[in-house]
Amino acid sequence: MAWSTSKVFVAFIHDALEGTEAWALATDAPKVALYDDDITPDATVAIANTAYNAGQWTASGNEVIDTGGWPAGGRTLLNPTSTIASNVYTYNADDTVSADSHSTITGAFGCLVYDDTLTGNYGLSFHYFGGSQTVSEGTFTVAWNASGLFTFTV
Amino acid sequence: MTPIVRRVVRWYCPNCPLEDVSVEPAQQNSARFHQCKGLRGLLAPMLPVGVRAKVVAVERGDYVGKEHVTLDADGRPVMSVVTVRDDGQDCIAFAPLAVVDAEV
Repeated sequence: MAWSTSKVFVAFIHDALEGTEAWALATDAPKVALYDDDITPDATVAIANTAYNAGQWTASGNEVIDTGGWPAGGRTLLNPTSTIASNVYTYNADDTVSADSHSTITGAFGCLVYDDTLTGNYGLSFHYFGGSQTVSEGTFTVAWNASGLFTFTV
Repeated sequence: MTPIVRRVVRWYCPNCPLEDVSVEPAQQNSARFHQCKGLRGLLAPMLPVGVRAKVVAVERGDYVGKEHVTLDADGRPVMSVVTVRDDGQDCIAFAPLAVVDAEV
């Protein structure tokens, strides 16, 4: 198994509803960390294992970085928005771009979005790019879907 | 007082007729994007005039299943737009939407 889908962590929803963690999605500073194809993301893990550098998201041997452009721990998700329209909740943000235009990133298959404001660095969602993505001496951009990072429809 | 040096950047797209001009701080690492008619409506970069490169859409390499992926104007699932320059490569990776659906 490896990457196959994009999901919201169930434990994130549970913790948000229970008030276990002080999630504040529109004002926190989530980060976007890139990963290779060695991992098998699972949306049903306990909250501790949604975190950056824990469980399946262990950085060593799995995280894809460029020291200057997309460092370990990832790039900050800028201008997040948390909105409701009719029966749909949407979490969205600006596209996430490498810090410089001379990054080398090899074999990024997907990303973890986690809340870097929380002490536990717990995950919100993960997103599968659909295949290997690479840049050399260039700019890497994660373009979020036109409908956002994730939605809840009731 | 520190003077702000600005530069004029002229942009073009290798896949459609769109051109643009921007004025920005000389030190700024700038980029320009547009919905490219030549790439079937996908988000694609513009290039500074003088930079030779190929900009191509890459179809998704894996099964789509229930994923909410980016589609081009022809309905094909696209996972990235890649810019291949003489001296390197850029990539826009399209992250799918993650969906929680409680509708019955």
